[in-house]
Order: sequence, then structure tokens, then C-alpha cells
Amino acid sequence: MNRRRKILGYGMGGFLFLFAMLYLFPYVWMTSMSFKPDGEIFSGRVFPEHPTLEQYQRLFYGYQFKDVTLTLPYATYYKNTIIVTVTSMVLVLFFDTMAAYGFAKFNFRGKKILFWTMIGTMLLPVYSTLIPSFWLFSVLNWINTYRALILPGVVDAYGIFLLKQYMETIPNELLDAAKVDGAGAFQRFWKIVVPLSRPAIATLAIFRFLFIWNDYLWPLVIIRDDTMYTLTLGIANMQLRQGMIVWGSQMAASVLATLPVLILVLVMQKQFLRGLTAGAFKA
Amino acid sequence: MASEDIIHNQTEIQEPTTSWYRLKERLAPYPFIAPFFIGFLVFQLLPIAFSIYLSFAEWNGMGAIEFLGLKNFSDMIQDAKFWNALRVTFYITAFCTIVGTAGATLLAVLLEKVEDWLASILRVFFFLPSVTSVVVIGYIWKQLYSSDYGFFNTLLIGLGLPPQQWLTDPKLALPALLVMLIWAGLGWDSLIITAGLRSIPDELYDAGKVDGTNGWTEFWYITLPLLQPTLLFVLVTGVIFLWGIFAQPSVLTGGGPLRHTQTIAMYLYDVGFRYHKFGYASAIAMILSVIMFISSYLNFRFVRSEAEY
Repeated sequence: MNRRRKILGYGMGGFLFLFAMLYLFPYVWMTSMSFKPDGEIFSGRVFPEHPTLEQYQRLFYGYQFKDVTLTLPYATYYKNTIIVTVTSMVLVLFFDTMAAYGFAKFNFRGKKILFWTMIGTMLLPVYSTLIPSFWLFSVLNWINTYRALILPGVVDAYGIFLLKQYMETIPNELLDAAKVDGAGAFQRFWKIVVPLSRPAIATLAIFRFLFIWNDYLWPLVIIRDDTMYTLTLGIANMQLRQGMIVWGSQMAASVLATLPVLILVLVMQKQFLRGLTAGAFKA
Repeated sequence: MASEDIIHNQTEIQEPTTSWYRLKERLAPYPFIAPFFIGFLVFQLLPIAFSIYLSFAEWNGMGAIEFLGLKNFSDMIQDAKFWNALRVTFYITAFCTIVGTAGATLLAVLLEKVEDWLASILRVFFFLPSVTSVVVIGYIWKQLYSSDYGFFNTLLIGLGLPPQQWLTDPKLALPALLVMLIWAGLGWDSLIITAGLRSIPDELYDAGKVDGTNGWTEFWYITLPLLQPTLLFVLVTGVIFLWGIFAQPSVLTGGGPLRHTQTIAMYLYDVGFRYHKFGYASAIAMILSVIMFISSYLNFRFVRSEAEY
């Protein structure tokens, strides 16, 4: 019986492994296209015959077309995305931990109403605010700015909820003891609650990183100037910009845009998957 | 008991009890939650209030706002493009939630039967599309589907079959989009379902074995009923996500051919940001929000009553 199950397990493992290889094929395609010279793009072969880094060089040094060099501000897209992602992450983590601490460790007038208002914002579809937010940012003259890319994402009820659940597991006695020692509310927050909430904060950080790094709709609405494009917007507009099909460079751009995310997921795999499933259940 | 009392007494003695201190402690939580609520007011409440107003008006984004009453909504009833987008989005939502959730459940159940070390590697593989930009996914699949040299057509030609216009044939564009969406969502859903499977106590399976369950009856009578809350979560989040789907179809097909793959969110974007009819676009956004609310509510009702039964 046991042996039979083991053999069955190996069989299933082999089958799922083959399935996973098939499943990953689009990634194989992306990578191999990015190493193909122009002449081979239309060859229909899966792997390049004469692999080259040409497509990657073009992203940074421009595209030579007859006598003209068309440049692509890919490095700028990268820079923009990093600036926006990092700033947004720092801000959102700071504000989320603060609000979560307020809700988890204090009793105050209006707590219930405020808490449920916050939960209610999780149900708001992004589309209900898209057009008026665009209007708001035009009025403020914030179109094509980092501020416009960063600030709306800082309102994050989901993160507050996730952290609040975690912070409630921190024993109150610890905070009371600190209170006796004369620690004010902020000191208790910064010296006790934040260090102890590190695992939950890390999970949230990964979430936010992925979300902001890959966001498309909001940058599409709020950014018009191509020097302010993020990576997703830049990749989406590559064909329009060059006025020709640049499949190879587009795939090279995609590889480079996916790489940081891939590394992040591989490095933080355990933490990420655990945080993800825990978060799913509490929601 | 006695020692606890002592500690308690000490606490009371040492904690400052001046009225200034008490006031400070009572007001302490507000600064912590204030940033969120300021952000909420400026970036959500204010825009939503304006959006509701705009849905009863017309505005090109610059001039005066013209109040129209219910005209936007009565226009919508006559608008064939709106109904088309509604139908397309409904098909996408229905197909992807049903097939996607079933597929993800199957994958999660099968992965549980595999050795741990292999299963954890495979989970990362299946999870990759969930962390890849939807724009990148869209362009990879656009290439795979390309009529000139795409992988699928190369495969068909190799098999001696005629190549297909995957993304420009009205019959094939929507199915092509659905395949991509199922592919992209499989890992995420199956991961959440895996977590659900882990929460089912082993004793139940042991008890089932005593009663002589086989693989299938075990799944049907033990796993599936206990997986209800997880499946509900996957369904509800899936429905909300899919009703609002925008980036994937706009990259893959641009809504074509002839609006066969244009979703409500894409139509909303077109009306607002291409034709600058912000009032009408806001009205569409209101309807979309209402649909999202209703369908998640129905999901709750439906799945819960099933569970009770």
C-alpha cells in the first residue's frame, strides 16, 4: 500500500514536472527571442542559432536604422520605476504600520466607525476613482510627476488590515512595561512594535513591490511624457515609438523588467508564500 | 495570585497619573491613523463624490460641467458598444472563474501528492506569471499567437495544419485571450487553494479511510466541502479582478477584432481618456462598481447556501 502510494507520487511528480516545463514555455520564448538577432526573429525556431546581445544593447545605446539612430530612454524607464517603487514602498510601509498600531494597540473614541470605514475602502474598485483622480491631479498640475505615481498608492487599507492582525499577537504586557518606563506612544511603536512586526512588514513590502513595479493602468492615465514612463508603460509603447515592430528588443526589455521580480521571489520564496497564504485567510 | 497582585500594584504606583499624561495617552492613537484618513479623504472620498456627481453630467475635462440628470444612464441602455463590452466581460469572468478555479483546485490537489521538495519547486514555477507584469505577459503571448512566425502557427504548420489568425479572427480572439488568462491565473489560485487544503485536519482523511474512501470519494466528500471557504475566497477575488480586467486584453488584442475582446474597463478608458466624455465614463464606472458589488455578494450567498446544504 505504502509502496504503491510512493510510486504513484513519483509518477505524479514526473507528470507535473513535464506540465510545469510546458507551462513555463512562454518564459523560454521570451528569453530566447531576446537573444535572437533581427534576422532570426521570424525563423519560427524556439532557440536562437546565433545568440547575440544586440537586442539588449539597443535598449541602452539606441537602435541603428540605416543612417538614423533611434534612441530609447530605457535606462530612464528603469530609473523612474525604481524611484517610484522604492519611495512608494517606504511611505506605504510607514503609514500602514502606524495606522495598524493605532488600531491594534489603542482604544479610542470612534475606533469602530473608523476601522470599518477603512475596511470599506478595500471594496472600492479602482475604476470608481480613476477619472476624478485624473481630474484632481490635472488641477494640481501633477500630471507627469513622480508624486502622481506615488501618492494614491499610499492609501492601502489591505496592508493596514494585514499588519493589524499581526500586531494584535504582540503581548500588551510588553507595551505596558515600556509605558511604566516612561516610553511615549511613538517610542513604544518604534522600539517595540515595529521590530516585532518585521515578518509581516516584510511580506507586505514584497506585495507592494510587486504591485507598484508591475502597475499599468494608473501610470497609463497619469503619465503622458515618455521621459516619465515606468517600465510597463515603456514596454507597452515600444512599438508605437519606434514606428516598427521591435519584437526582439521588446522581449529584451521584458526580460530585464522581470528579472528583479524573479530574483525577489526566489530569494524571499519561503517568506513570501507563507505571508501570502496567511494573508489570504485573514482577508 | 499574590505575586501577580504585587506586580499589578507596582504598575499602578509607577505609571504617571497626571491629567496631562492621561490626555496625551488618550489622544495618542489619532496621529497614527491620521495619515491614512487624510489620504483616504483626498485620494478616494473626494474623487468618488466627484465621480458620482459626474455620472449625472457631461464634461470634456476642461470647460463647464453640464448637469444632465439620468441622460448618461439612458444613453447607456441604447449603447450597443456598452452592451458588447458587458457581454465580453461577462464571458471572460464566467469562463475564467469556473475553469480557472477548477483547474487550480486540480493542480493544488495533485501537487499535494508529490514529494515536498519537488512540490515546492513546482509551486514557484506555477507562480511566476502571478508576479510578472501583465504587460510583459501580454506581449509574450502576442508573439506566441503572431500569425507570421508565432509559436502556435509554427507548430500547426509543422503538423501539416493550416495556420490561424489567432488574434484577428473574430472567432479565435476571445478564446486566445481566455487561454492566456487561465495560464496567468493558475498559480495564484492554486497556491491559495493549497493553503486551504493544508487547513483540513488529517484525522478526517483517516476517518474516511476507515469508511473505505478511494481517491475520488475522498475528494468529493471530504476535501471539497471543507474547501468551501477557500474556494469562496478565490471566486470572489477572481470575479472582482475579472470584471475590472483591462491591461491583459488591451495589450494582447487592443479590444479587437471589431470590439470582440473589448471589456467594460477598456470601453470606460476609451470613453474617458480617448473621447474625453468624462461624465459618460463616470456613469460606466458606477455601473461597473455596482456589478462588482452585486457579483461578489451573489457569490457569498450562493456558496454559503451550498455549504449549509
